[in-house]
Amino acid sequence: MAKEDQVVADGEVQVVAFKLRNEEYGFSILNVQEIKNLSDITRVPFAPDFIKGVVNLRGSVLPVIDLKKRLGLEDTPYTANTRIVIVQYDEVYVGMLVDAVTEVRTINADDIDTTRAITAGNDAGSKFISGIGKVDGRLIIQLNISEIMGLSGEE
Amino acid sequence: METNQYMEMFLDESREHLQSLNDGLLSLENDPEDLSVLNEIFRNAHTLKGMSATMGYTKTAELTHDMENLLDMLRKEQLKVSSEIIDVIFKCVDSLQEMVENIGNGESEDLVDVSDLVRMVNAIAKGESVQQEGPEASGGAAAAPAAASGMPEGCELNDTDMLVIKEAKNSGLIPYWVHVEIADTCLLKSARSYMVMNVLDELGDVIKSIPPAQDLEQEKFDHSFDVCLVTDADAKKVEEGVTAISEICGVKVTEINLEEAPKEAPAPVAAPKPAAQAAAPAAAPKAAAPAAKPAAKASANNAKHDKKAHVAGQSVRVDIEKLDTLMNLVGELVTNKVRLEQIGMTHRLTELTETLEQMDRVTTDLQSVVMKVRMVPVSQVFNRFPRMVRDLAKELNKDINLTIEGEDTELDRTVIDEIGDPLMHLLRNSLDHGVEHPDEREAKGKPRTGEVGLIARHEGNNVVIMVTDDGSGINADKIRNKAVEKGMISRDEADALPDADAVRLIFLPGFSTAEQITDVSGRGVGMDVVRSKIESLGGHVDVETKIDEGSVFKIKLPLTLAIIQAMLVKVQDEMYAIPLGSIDSTINITPDDIKTVQNKEVIVIRGQIIPITRLNEVLSVPRGKEATDEDDIFVVVVHVGDHKIGIVVDNLIGQQEIVIKTLGKLLSGLKMLAGATILGDGHVAMILDVSALM
Repeated sequence: MAKEDQVVADGEVQVVAFKLRNEEYGFSILNVQEIKNLSDITRVPFAPDFIKGVVNLRGSVLPVIDLKKRLGLEDTPYTANTRIVIVQYDEVYVGMLVDAVTEVRTINADDIDTTRAITAGNDAGSKFISGIGKVDGRLIIQLNISEIMGLSGEE
Repeated sequence: METNQYMEMFLDESREHLQSLNDGLLSLENDPEDLSVLNEIFRNAHTLKGMSATMGYTKTAELTHDMENLLDMLRKEQLKVSSEIIDVIFKCVDSLQEMVENIGNGESEDLVDVSDLVRMVNAIAKGESVQQEGPEASGGAAAAPAAASGMPEGCELNDTDMLVIKEAKNSGLIPYWVHVEIADTCLLKSARSYMVMNVLDELGDVIKSIPPAQDLEQEKFDHSFDVCLVTDADAKKVEEGVTAISEICGVKVTEINLEEAPKEAPAPVAAPKPAAQAAAPAAAPKAAAPAAKPAAKASANNAKHDKKAHVAGQSVRVDIEKLDTLMNLVGELVTNKVRLEQIGMTHRLTELTETLEQMDRVTTDLQSVVMKVRMVPVSQVFNRFPRMVRDLAKELNKDINLTIEGEDTELDRTVIDEIGDPLMHLLRNSLDHGVEHPDEREAKGKPRTGEVGLIARHEGNNVVIMVTDDGSGINADKIRNKAVEKGMISRDEADALPDADAVRLIFLPGFSTAEQITDVSGRGVGMDVVRSKIESLGGHVDVETKIDEGSVFKIKLPLTLAIIQAMLVKVQDEMYAIPLGSIDSTINITPDDIKTVQNKEVIVIRGQIIPITRLNEVLSVPRGKEATDEDDIFVVVVHVGDHKIGIVVDNLIGQQEIVIKTLGKLLSGLKMLAGATILGDGHVAMILDVSALM
């Protein structure tokens, strides 16, 4: 379970796709626990700035990461479509604040471009990206969950 | 055999047996003549051998076997208990402990080199083994008369048993005394004894067994046990039934002769008799006198039962994780209850409120039961100290007498797990720096033996653990000088400190009072570690000392860490919880009451000057919509030890029971926060760590 690399079944990958501003991103479905409507987020003093706060997930306290802030994108106000995507990595559960969840997509492994060159050097958020999937002319940016959670140790 | 599923059990039980071995050896050292202790030790070693052999840990089994041989010789008085022998056995126990830990860590037991130890053990054993044969041979005859009386000597049939037997006899049943011998090679004796009991149960009613059923279950017997049975079957059938079980090498069924029994072995007379037997065990060696065995055993068991009657009850091993889950669920229940209460209040639903009152009682009970389940006696930590103190005293060439009090005081498991190291440190400290060398003590007119105490007791909603010594005490001036020398405080500051506060400087990071750095303590990482550990548990540590009279280190700990009473306060739009335990008072002041001292805000309450801190600034709370009333200021006065501080908040919401939740890995180690809790309305509130505000 420790690997969040998209599991390839018959050369296909399933991702939960969601929107941040006008770009589309995705987490491997194997890491996604559930999707939750926005509820009141409690600010946590002294927490890293990309952590929006914590919410109550059926009796446990769940930290919520502001994904746009983490990826260096500009902030937008909450809308009726704003969701918290709850992901799990290495037994740690975290909520990810996204603008809207679009769909669960199956992407052909051949259609995922893992060339670093696309994002390298031009964006602070590049280390968070594990590949870019192409479906029906749309681009779904695959995210590296462990980097986003900051569990890799550099934070 | 699939051993994995038994691994946990094996490790747990091995640790337990090793612990009782340690305890037993310590008391044997104090009283070498006490054979019941020796028997207990032997049984422990024997069980350990059986378990490790079953699990396939041959090396552990072999070492235990050698140790057992030695113990057996001591038991049979072929060897005299000497401190040299005890040291060797202690070393064996240490090595065994290491092996078991290695096994627990998934490493090989072979990592521990025991060849020297084995040689030593065997050398001691051989040195005396020449005399072994005499008593071994002479035993047979002595045992015979006892068996002839219908039941073994020393078996205690009390009045109730008698009555049952009599009644059974009247209704045509026959009482038998069944003596069962289990093969020497049998590894799971408790399982065999269980099977025997099952067979006997089917044939009739088991009235009594020696040793008692519980000891049988726990394998606290050698290779034989006795059962009193009433049945309508004849002796032959009983014998056949039992012999059918494998690894049973001998069954003797004798009818109990009631008329004779009360004369032979009435309850009050039985006690001194086995004691006499035990005192002369040379006449009753293992193989030849099975009948005498239960007698000696019964006395050992009795002695043990008297002493530890309160630990006896039935128990179940439960995975700690399951308890944690249970605790979480109860916590959630409490949260939901509070939520329902709020709904009932807002909508004025009397019926709901009444029902909730009932539920409140149930949840409160449930909560306290779950808490109790998680409580473990401090003896779990304390029982490793006698050994440590003994070793350390030897190493330091000091005479130390350790007194432990209140070891059945209970604390939450989470606290117990953490408290061991700090206590060990305090004890080491008392031994190394506190208690003086015997000669020095004599010169001061004190007894040569230093007294070190480890005392636990309840104090309100807290448990207090004290480490006391009657040593040299802590010299406040020495501490002052040291602190100045280390640049921790200035000379003036130091001189201004009262003695009691000066002594507390030892809890500051990087402080070491030992002039000489020793192996035992004094590397300057001592006391501050103790303090931070205790404080992370929500506790508090303090010291009192008197020159040449000794020191008392006092640790105050909360009973539990999971559910606490807290005051909810509001700062702008944010809600925070302050643990009630650290709150002194709440007051309402006006801006005029705030004075400044060197640009720091303070207030004066009942003549006491208390610094204040504004929570919205400390936590950089964003300005909310609510305009705060500047004329009306709420201050929560909190304390950590003797230090007080006022926390300025916007509003006081009220007192509530809260369930502490961790913030998780991602948010661990945030300063000023002790965790989070979920309020009745489902919102999350942060719990303030008051000590970090100081």
